[in-house]
Amino acid sequence: MTPLVLSRDLPAARAPSLLWSLTAVAAALTLLALVWAPFDPRLIDGTPVWAKPLKFAVSFVALFATLALVEDRLSLRWRNGLILRGTTTVMGTAMVLEMGYMIYQAARAEASHFNFSTPFHEIMYVSVMGTGAVLLVLGIAVFGVAVARDRDAALTPGLRSGVTWGFVLSCVLTLVVAGTMSTSTGHYVGTPVLDTRLPFVGWSAEVGDLRPAHFLSLHAMQALPLLGLLLDRAGSARPGRTVALAGAGYAALTLAVFAQALMGLPLIRL
Amino acid sequence: MTPDFLFQIANPLAMAGWVVLILAPRRWAALGHVPRTAVPLLLAALYSALVLAHFFTAEGGYDSLANVALLFETPEVLLAGWVHYLAFDLMIGALMADRMDRAGVARVLQAPVLVTIFLFGPMGVLVALATEGVVRLLPARSEALA
Repeated sequence: MTPLVLSRDLPAARAPSLLWSLTAVAAALTLLALVWAPFDPRLIDGTPVWAKPLKFAVSFVALFATLALVEDRLSLRWRNGLILRGTTTVMGTAMVLEMGYMIYQAARAEASHFNFSTPFHEIMYVSVMGTGAVLLVLGIAVFGVAVARDRDAALTPGLRSGVTWGFVLSCVLTLVVAGTMSTSTGHYVGTPVLDTRLPFVGWSAEVGDLRPAHFLSLHAMQALPLLGLLLDRAGSARPGRTVALAGAGYAALTLAVFAQALMGLPLIRL
Repeated sequence: MTPDFLFQIANPLAMAGWVVLILAPRRWAALGHVPRTAVPLLLAALYSALVLAHFFTAEGGYDSLANVALLFETPEVLLAGWVHYLAFDLMIGALMADRMDRAGVARVLQAPVLVTIFLFGPMGVLVALATEGVVRLLPARSEALA
């Protein structure tokens, strides 16, 4: 179409999957948040306005890269099937809307989550941020089930168990933790006085904060597959059993951190 | 033809180009000339006419921010500046769309990136180029696994 050839064409066979493209967009939004940071000293509830878009963009890179790595190992029948393509499209739409609204609100120095100040903000919080987040989390479980059911997937036994357990646990634990968080008025349990926080993550080091449990629940989807992969590499005889036990332990740890926050205690007191 | 009237014409013209660029199927090659050739040419003509007729008699200049602000106090020059945005943003949008096509980025994902270029030109270019860059860094998909 254009006479200008500025870049090498990728052959059709090398076209990235939608999941890899979504990973790339999340990486681009990470860059956007980083170039924003030095120029904007405004705060929302004591946190730089760009911090939340940055954290979410990084999370989306981890989420979609993990899903893309797994999808690349599925059989063509599952990869091109309606279920996974539909799931990916829904998750991608949810990410674009979530990040779009989050960046827009941050640029206006207004909260995106827990914002009931106007009917518009309430609708956006409940429908875009809420429904979108639930769909994203359910999508993770769909991939977990697909991995369990796809007999032709190019996955070693431990890795297959790790992905299935990790993805399904991620979904269930996140629904519990984030679901609880969404029914309260914010991510704190208690009222910070000194407002001391852990570096970078910004979790309260003074009162209960539901975000550490949210972090753990979401990253079961990386932790357990990595464990499964290591077990396979080490030549474990029954990796499935070890992964299941580790999954139970991981869930217990997440719920303990969750309970600690609900009791109003910080993860680490500074 | 007041600046206000021309402004009211230039906006939907650019908008038509964006709608075609974002929504129209690429296989209709002729339609591709709307955002790539026709609309940019019309906007370029309007810009040229405005600049030749008004730029050199307007107060202000490019040497300081205050002078640029003064330049834009002449409505026709302000309009020319706006048309410049419209024309170049659309052309850059088409260029970015073509690049993302060649890198294999799905159209549904190109749409929000192109909307960002439409609204905030360079911010969208940053997102588009970074997206394309990451996609090109990815290892080849191994179909052998299937």
